[in-house]
Amino acid sequence: MTEAEIRAHIDPIRHEYAEGRSLILPALKFAQTEKGHVARADLDAIAAATGFSAAYVESVASFYDRIYLEPVGKRVVSVCVTLSCMLRGSDEVLEALCAHEGLPDHGHHAGGTSSDGEITIQEAQCLGYCDRAPCIQVDAEETVGPLTPDEAVAMLDQLREAPAPVAFWR
Amino acid sequence: MPVMNSVYRHREAGTPLTDLVAYRAAGGFKALEKALADMEPDDLLYAFHRSGLRGRGGAGFPMGRKASFLPKDSALATYLVCNADESEPGTFKDREIMEMNPFQLIEGMVLAGHAVGATRGYIYIRGEYEHQARILDRALVAAREGGYLGTDILRSGVTFDLTLYRGAGAYICGEETGLLESLEGKRGQPRLKPPFPAVAGLYASPTLINNVETLAALPPIVEKGADWYAAIGPEKSPGTKIFSVSGHVTRPGNYEVVMGETTCRELLFGMAGGMRSGRSLKAFWVGGSSVPVLGEQHLDTPIDYESLNAAGTFLGSGGCIVMDDSGCIVRATLRLASFYRHESCGKCTPCREGTTWMEKVLQRMVDGQGRIEDLELLESLFGRISGRVLCALADGAVAPIKSALAMFRADFVRVIEEGGSARPEPMMEVAHA
Repeated sequence: MTEAEIRAHIDPIRHEYAEGRSLILPALKFAQTEKGHVARADLDAIAAATGFSAAYVESVASFYDRIYLEPVGKRVVSVCVTLSCMLRGSDEVLEALCAHEGLPDHGHHAGGTSSDGEITIQEAQCLGYCDRAPCIQVDAEETVGPLTPDEAVAMLDQLREAPAPVAFWR
Repeated sequence: MPVMNSVYRHREAGTPLTDLVAYRAAGGFKALEKALADMEPDDLLYAFHRSGLRGRGGAGFPMGRKASFLPKDSALATYLVCNADESEPGTFKDREIMEMNPFQLIEGMVLAGHAVGATRGYIYIRGEYEHQARILDRALVAAREGGYLGTDILRSGVTFDLTLYRGAGAYICGEETGLLESLEGKRGQPRLKPPFPAVAGLYASPTLINNVETLAALPPIVEKGADWYAAIGPEKSPGTKIFSVSGHVTRPGNYEVVMGETTCRELLFGMAGGMRSGRSLKAFWVGGSSVPVLGEQHLDTPIDYESLNAAGTFLGSGGCIVMDDSGCIVRATLRLASFYRHESCGKCTPCREGTTWMEKVLQRMVDGQGRIEDLELLESLFGRISGRVLCALADGAVAPIKSALAMFRADFVRVIEEGGSARPEPMMEVAHA
């Protein structure tokens, strides 16, 4: 994304913050909507638009789970694996999704991006939909649940068939 | 069974109030009209204080007292911040308020902002709640158009506006100084305290920071009077509290309980429907994942801050996670340990390293590689982590492990001796509340 595009997004909200540094996170989230991740050039553009160094912008970006500094799939599927979801079958949902995409399904490296680059599966910490456990979230869309492993896999197939989103809010 | 949905208007109305007209029809903004017409900021502060309302985010600190810590006539701008970074495992009450009743939160924030002399407030919402953020976006526009927010609110001359700030996936940003760092455009790592946010918060300015449920409780307190609220429940824990119940119950959902008049048994078995047939209760974490675990012997404990403290746990955020006897306490404890290892921000070594160690030790027990000495090893870690860090995350990581080990030691020993813990049959049948 260009510096001008980022400026067009943050200039109208600049007056809401006493310090321009607060615009970095909104800028990162906005820049990410273009490709689904934040590339080196985006960090440079945000740095130019906010007046902070690219290194500083990256230090902020790297703190947050939902700012992706490497390319991810066209759709990012977050499977909540925290206790309430675990008790209702989230491990089984995660395994079914990973098996469907040919990805490792356990340990600290569960999930990943499918070989066709369409789908990223990731573990998520509590998504706040424990009343609908087990639940999953696609990008930053509304979390859905409860889902059986079969229903979750069927959702992946639907995602593949659906057109890619115009903007990647995640 | 006492159920009183009198504080949060969508519960009283039994319908979502996402539309300004509907919110007004349900009595919304009467408190703000009253406050701007008849009350001075100090009257509001006094009402907050007299109501006895305690912070609903987890710590339970008296809201009015927190507000009174802000210096009067500060040369710096004063800010109000709403902590909507609801991320405590098992907690989904703020989500309901923002989804179903965004205007009550907005009204509560205008009241609190006016009381402390702020002209700008922020709602910091977790990135995962983009759906709820869009509902709030629309509500903020409608509130501004209706004259309830912005300059010259209801022609009173009072100015107060709100900014919705979206997080990007970090539990630690629910810690109030981590949140402020994030809102300032930094890594969301907690600050050394003091100074507390009341003195030096956002942009080093006086800042009042409260949870969604706390701020949304203010309109009925102002409208119906502090005495009305203070008279609900026990003197030290007045009011109602929304409990999110999840896990192995047949009716997971949010339940607004009257403090002190509802027992854990009524919440788990009456409201949330109890366990599925053929199963009995094994354990429950009544106030979220950061509190000591309870067992069957605690079911008759009344739900209020003092009674739960006496039972050895905390009311916390009200995220009550329930596990029946099909579940393994070691496996459940490991899952919580993994959560804290993932969410430790890394700033304090005891927490960063300690959460990793605790997870590793529990993982090998579950995997069948545990040794009986691991129990002592775990216990030796607690005191090296708790109290040696800047924020409460580490205490939250230790509490469920320490308490599980104390209460269910035999289960840990059995898992070690039997060479691991088999994964239980997941509870897939789900009934909605």
